[in-house]
Amino acid sequence: MTAADETTRRPGVRVGSASEFSLFFRVIPGHAEEIRAALTALQRTPGYRPGDYEMAIASIHEARFVLFDDDTRLLFATSFDGSWDAYMEDFAAGPLQLFDAIFQHTDGYAGLPDVSAVKDFILGAQVTAAAYARNYPGTVKELRRANRLREAFDTVLDDPRAEEALGHPALKPLLDEAADA
Amino acid sequence: MTIQQQRALELGDIQSGALRERPAPYVGRYLLLRLGDAEQGRELVRRLHALLVEQDRHGPSDPQAWLTVAFTHAGLAALGVPQSSLDSFPAEFREGMAARAEQLGDVGPSSPEHWEPPLGSDAVHVAVSVLAPDAPSLEAVAERARTRYADLPSVEVVWRQDCYQLSTGRTSFGFKDGIGNPDVEGSGLPLRNRSERPIKTGEFILGYPDETGSVAPMPTPEVLGRNGTFLVFRKLRTDVAAYRRYLRDRARDRDEERLLGAKMVGRWPSGAPLVLAPDTEDRDLGADPSRNNSFGYRDDLRGFKCPAGAHARRANPRDALEDENSVNVRLHRMIRRGTSYGTALPDGVLEDDGQDRGIVFVFAGAHLDRQFEFVKTQWINDGVFIGVPGESDPLVSGAQAPTDFTIPHVPIRRRLRDLPPLVVTRGGEYCFAPGLRALAWLSGLETPQEEP
Repeated sequence: MTAADETTRRPGVRVGSASEFSLFFRVIPGHAEEIRAALTALQRTPGYRPGDYEMAIASIHEARFVLFDDDTRLLFATSFDGSWDAYMEDFAAGPLQLFDAIFQHTDGYAGLPDVSAVKDFILGAQVTAAAYARNYPGTVKELRRANRLREAFDTVLDDPRAEEALGHPALKPLLDEAADA
Repeated sequence: MTIQQQRALELGDIQSGALRERPAPYVGRYLLLRLGDAEQGRELVRRLHALLVEQDRHGPSDPQAWLTVAFTHAGLAALGVPQSSLDSFPAEFREGMAARAEQLGDVGPSSPEHWEPPLGSDAVHVAVSVLAPDAPSLEAVAERARTRYADLPSVEVVWRQDCYQLSTGRTSFGFKDGIGNPDVEGSGLPLRNRSERPIKTGEFILGYPDETGSVAPMPTPEVLGRNGTFLVFRKLRTDVAAYRRYLRDRARDRDEERLLGAKMVGRWPSGAPLVLAPDTEDRDLGADPSRNNSFGYRDDLRGFKCPAGAHARRANPRDALEDENSVNVRLHRMIRRGTSYGTALPDGVLEDDGQDRGIVFVFAGAHLDRQFEFVKTQWINDGVFIGVPGESDPLVSGAQAPTDFTIPHVPIRRRLRDLPPLVVTRGGEYCFAPGLRALAWLSGLETPQEEP
């Protein structure tokens, strides 16, 4: 499987259900400390704390903010379910404004609530990946559902009557998975 | 775009097609015209403008028939609209629906090479629609319009489609339609959905603030754009026999057949929404305009009443996605003014009778891309947004491969497999319906215009 083996759309590369999304910003000179503090604060909010797995934006697989070049630049990189073009306006109108406290330390951010200004700001920072691949298929919703199913199956297998119960012919596909589930 | 003060809606300058509700019952006629000569084209616009001004005097409460006039991008060019102005329209309008077929899912039998000529070609310039409560008033208005171009030899009628409500008051699939329209701020129409704030005018009419707080980009000069709206029309042929056979094959009995049909649509045949009537048809609810569109999906997020993949829930998920912060549903609303064409397939008939029947889908809005195209590509044709990438709309996706359809149900969900394609796109166009002042401007184009 090669990167971007499926629909490649401008400007985010799409693989299966997910599109990559990488934004490069310049930190306003003298704001390095503030932006680091804002990122630390973000890391402490619900959804971003280690082990939370409930980010406010439900279609995002993962997200990272990286300060680089001696804290003069910021990378925001993520992948989300859907097509970049289609959701651009939605992101500008809502979710990306959740990062207002961070973006206000970057060049060119006009702030809330002008959506078209936020949109221009994002478009100006977006760089399309030269290579992008995924190691699992599926949307965030499917993966969460799959996890719930796995937990439920585990609970079944922990029951001493599981082997007998899974002996029914209709359950053979589950029994086939049970040996090392 | 800057944020502007809220302007009062200039209802008198806006054409009827967008903000006026379809009468019930209705008859309709759609005509497409080709302009062979710019001067005669502008003369036609001058005369149609006079007709619209006259019509406007009667006001929207008048039960008589009304006319709507719109232009394709090629039509605006044929009238002599300056290039800078033509270039100021959004890309999707400039390209036209046929050019965007692949993205829209109009492929295979739905692809433009199979469309009814001249749909999707450069020969379509002007779209005229007439909607009326009955045939005599339709004929009166259509005749008045016809006399406006009869003596203009270069104006040619290149396509015509007559529509009328079936005696059942329902579409060919057997469901009441025209129910789910958004409430629009300032439209003067009664508010139908108490669970949702009315949508900003600028989402549907150019020149007013929209849901983002900005004013949508308008074509220039301002006189051309203001109070205009984009219209999409698509002729969709429905395979009613295939729909009925599929349900007959999958259902244990007639009751279950009706239930599976309702699950696919999201409403019962009467129009009663599943969320409010999950188990059985409720005709009173379906017939009550103050109740049949007043609901959300908050207490049915898992879709036990109305499946997330049901047609009506896909076309407008209402509040179902509110917690996800990924999408603002209010940016993707559509005014729909569709009508039915062709005769009904008689009750109980399971074999196709070869008759052409279906829907003329009509959309009105300020954004072809984030309204019509978004809904069609992200919500109708695709299932990523509900976490089921492999499923598309069970009724109208137009996907030419079979789709599955999941019906959440306690204790075990039901999955309908290999639902065949039930709709074929026969053609369509992206049009722009200018305001009345803009029509006057268009008709006066022979005098040199100041560049914006």
